[in-house]
Amino acid sequence: MPAPDSQLVRAIATGAPEARAAEAELCRRFAPRIRLYGLRHLRDEDRARDLVQSVLLAVLQAARAGRIADPERVDRFMLGTSRNLAQRMRDGEPSNAGDEALDAIPADADDRPAAVDLAALVRCVGALDDRSRQVVMLSFNEERPSEEIAARLAISTANVRVVRHRAVAALRRCLDGRPEADA
Amino acid sequence: MTCPHPIAWDTLVDYWAADLDEAATADVEDHLFGCPDCTAAAARVAALTEALRAALPPVISRARIEQLRARGARIRENTFSPGQRREVLFARDADLLIHRLAGLDLTQADRVDFRITAESTGELIAAVDGVPFDPAEGAVFVACQRHYGTLPADTVMSLAVHRPGASPATATYTILHRFE
Repeated sequence: MPAPDSQLVRAIATGAPEARAAEAELCRRFAPRIRLYGLRHLRDEDRARDLVQSVLLAVLQAARAGRIADPERVDRFMLGTSRNLAQRMRDGEPSNAGDEALDAIPADADDRPAAVDLAALVRCVGALDDRSRQVVMLSFNEERPSEEIAARLAISTANVRVVRHRAVAALRRCLDGRPEADA
Repeated sequence: MTCPHPIAWDTLVDYWAADLDEAATADVEDHLFGCPDCTAAAARVAALTEALRAALPPVISRARIEQLRARGARIRENTFSPGQRREVLFARDADLLIHRLAGLDLTQADRVDFRITAESTGELIAAVDGVPFDPAEGAVFVACQRHYGTLPADTVMSLAVHRPGASPATATYTILHRFE
């Protein structure tokens, strides 16, 4: 049974010999979540990676200093720190880097799914029906809001969402080589 | 999945499409930060949507080409006439090849449909209806991207130009790709 997050935070605060391993484990657990947050809000893989480093550094420093008031809710602390630091990055502040605390982050902390094969993606997008292809490309490639897509295609916004849900599921199945299975 | 209340697929797609309101976005993020299972599911959606975001569609507008140039993309442009068959090189120092499919009367066109097939096998590689076109240039711009290197190299690109009250005019261009 893996140790709960709160136990890791408390171990870090003690500064005991096992604190180092607790830091590494906390980083391993949260790096993927912070990266996704960064990707969603900063829209850039490099900046998302910078955010991971900055947030983990800030949280480790807080944990060492015993400044995480409620270790049971360290996930909320991580999210709050992610929100603050992502906003600062959007405002143009440089991200933190280069602290020995970051050595605690194991190399495989960012265990993201395999990158999508772009050539396969082109084929899978090509296999969608016209409306699905338009909705997917307008949504994700041109970053148009649903209302604008709906107006352009003369359908309702609810319909845009339904088409998009099904199209993304179909692309996922196509990329996974699963013609019928659910996404 | 061991999460007792996993985030629905539809919600994750809306999240990555930035199509949730502020409160719903915050709810998703609250859940994701406390749930490794849903984080893994969200990462699978994100891998796909972010690839879509980064990918260029196979046919783009002149304005998009100029936008890419302005951002520093190294673009080589080759012009083809209807019926032409020739080889193009995707050189190491190019980021993007533009196949300018020209020689078309697009002044009255209301829609252009595009197909790519492999010359040797006839395999349909891509089919896109209603692609961007430039009536002034009389051309359609195909954005040939480096990752297309894994697709068949011998391509036949076909255009069907639709005009009100007339049957579609068609043109084909055979482009043989070599990637450096």
